[in-house]
Amino acid sequence: MANPNLQGNVRREWRLYLFVLPSLFLVCTFAYFPAASALYHSFFDWSGGDTKEFIGWGNFERAFADEIFWKSFIVIFTLVLANIVKLIPSITVAVLIHRMKSDSAQYFYRVMVVVPMIVPHIVILFIWKFFFDPNLGILNNLLDFTRLKTLLVWLDQQFGWEVFYADVPIGWLSTPELIVPSLIFWGFPWIGAVGVLIYLAGLQNIDRELYEASEIDGAGPFQQFFYIEFPLILTQVRLTMILLIISTLQGYGQQFLLLGENGGPARAGLTPGLWMFNRAFFNGEFGYACSLGLLLFFVILVLTWVNNKYVRVDK
Amino acid sequence: MSAAHAMPTHFRQKKNLEWIKHLVVIGVLCIELLPFYMMLQISVKDNTTFIQNPWLPPNPWIPDQSAHADIDTSSWRWSNYDYGIRLIAPYVANTVFVAVLSASGTLFFAIMGAYFFARYKMPFSSVLWGLFLFLMLMPGIANIVPLFSLLKGMHLLNTLWALIIVHMSGGQVFNMFVLRHFMEDIPKDFFEAAEMDGATHFQQIRHIVIPMCAAIIGTLSIFIFIGSWNEYLLPLIVLRDKELFTLGVGLIYLDGEYVKRWGLIMSAFFVASVPLIIIFLFCMKLFVRGLSSGAIKG
Repeated sequence: MANPNLQGNVRREWRLYLFVLPSLFLVCTFAYFPAASALYHSFFDWSGGDTKEFIGWGNFERAFADEIFWKSFIVIFTLVLANIVKLIPSITVAVLIHRMKSDSAQYFYRVMVVVPMIVPHIVILFIWKFFFDPNLGILNNLLDFTRLKTLLVWLDQQFGWEVFYADVPIGWLSTPELIVPSLIFWGFPWIGAVGVLIYLAGLQNIDRELYEASEIDGAGPFQQFFYIEFPLILTQVRLTMILLIISTLQGYGQQFLLLGENGGPARAGLTPGLWMFNRAFFNGEFGYACSLGLLLFFVILVLTWVNNKYVRVDK
Repeated sequence: MSAAHAMPTHFRQKKNLEWIKHLVVIGVLCIELLPFYMMLQISVKDNTTFIQNPWLPPNPWIPDQSAHADIDTSSWRWSNYDYGIRLIAPYVANTVFVAVLSASGTLFFAIMGAYFFARYKMPFSSVLWGLFLFLMLMPGIANIVPLFSLLKGMHLLNTLWALIIVHMSGGQVFNMFVLRHFMEDIPKDFFEAAEMDGATHFQQIRHIVIPMCAAIIGTLSIFIFIGSWNEYLLPLIVLRDKELFTLGVGLIYLDGEYVKRWGLIMSAFFVASVPLIIIFLFCMKLFVRGLSSGAIKG
């Protein structure tokens, strides 16, 4: 990349700097400045107005003693683990589509995978909320129809969960014990359009001689997956995994819309992000919310760093 | 992408395995598309029809068997859509305004920024690039509270411009990142030839960069469009007046405000998806192909 005419370039092309200026200005004003402001205000007792009081580490001391905040991390880490497992259907579907013989079938399925993207996220969220509705919802309807509910009630009696009862509609989003499982089940069968297309793009780069060689060695479809396909799309899987972990850790929109600003009864579905949102916009504790956001920020930063360092993929 | 077409013929697996793959994929896709199906079929029902027959669309060929003669459960209630369109159309208009301006504004500045990095290696350009990239790795979670007070200080609360300008700045890094890679692949000869003819940098962007990167620019603009279409948290804290609501906030209020008449709600949901469906029908290739190729380069 070394350019011998660097000096000449600068004198001739200084106007080029004007090209990057608007982007730089936007990013500084609306990303770096708020970040710095969050750091600054986390040391203040501030309710969003002009008056604020410096309280040193007060907000952080309060956050470390805040049981609700730490309990919300258990919820979010459960969801992160579940989301990683939920990558499996996307990978499977991508591999199945990739292995199909007919090109037109491949294209058709790709289009069908993308189709859910044309429904706004919030609409999908609300349709799922409707699925979970105790009285009219599809899920309870389906469980009654297939008699699976009797099985759930029987299991409940065996293990003493005290969650499922024969005559009471199951309140998926109103029973504290069921909230996290419902959030995990949400979006079944968990096909991510972007994920599937990224994996398919990775799969297409696999040299077809590898398949032929493995067939000569007598490898079956499952061995081909574990020895050829999975190792070679590991880069893509890792990319989607990192993005997924970061977005899940920061996420609170889904929990807010499905469960309300308190994360449902007994705060069973409260995530750290939702607690921050709740403190700022429902309780007016902006300074405290800033410190909660910063703590979450550091947790995510550390996890990203660990991920980059230890989950390495040989290309 | 050319390898994609040649590949599948080289699988020499037994024929009888082929239908299993189709069966599994179709099964998964059917469940995946179930919310979409339920939305469509409930949108032409009222609650009574829905309780009697939750799964299938109303069947006009079977005469109504219900005891209530005054409620006709067999006909399709298209009137739900009168309500849906009247309620959602203003929100759709606001959202289209925000989404179009966000997409064009983001790309206008991102193309200029990417051009700066891709065209020459200038002093400090690697420092600046690092400044942008750092942002990409930085979790944005802590920003929302100060952002709110910043917008308040700029008197942008309760305006659609607040959403547009936040989308524009939020999109800079990712779009510049992708565009830079595509611009660096353009042969340098094009630029040199244009410079010989005395083309300014703006002319080079307009006559070389934009035509050569048209596909990825199209894909990115669809992404930004969908992104602002899907957003609801920022509008929820920024917008107060009902006339300014975008879809996200409008639907949240719809969810909270009414006695649940699912037919009406589902018809509103469908109307909210219509613009995306239209874009999808016209730009299917950009969606499907662009997504995969953009993902690799990025």
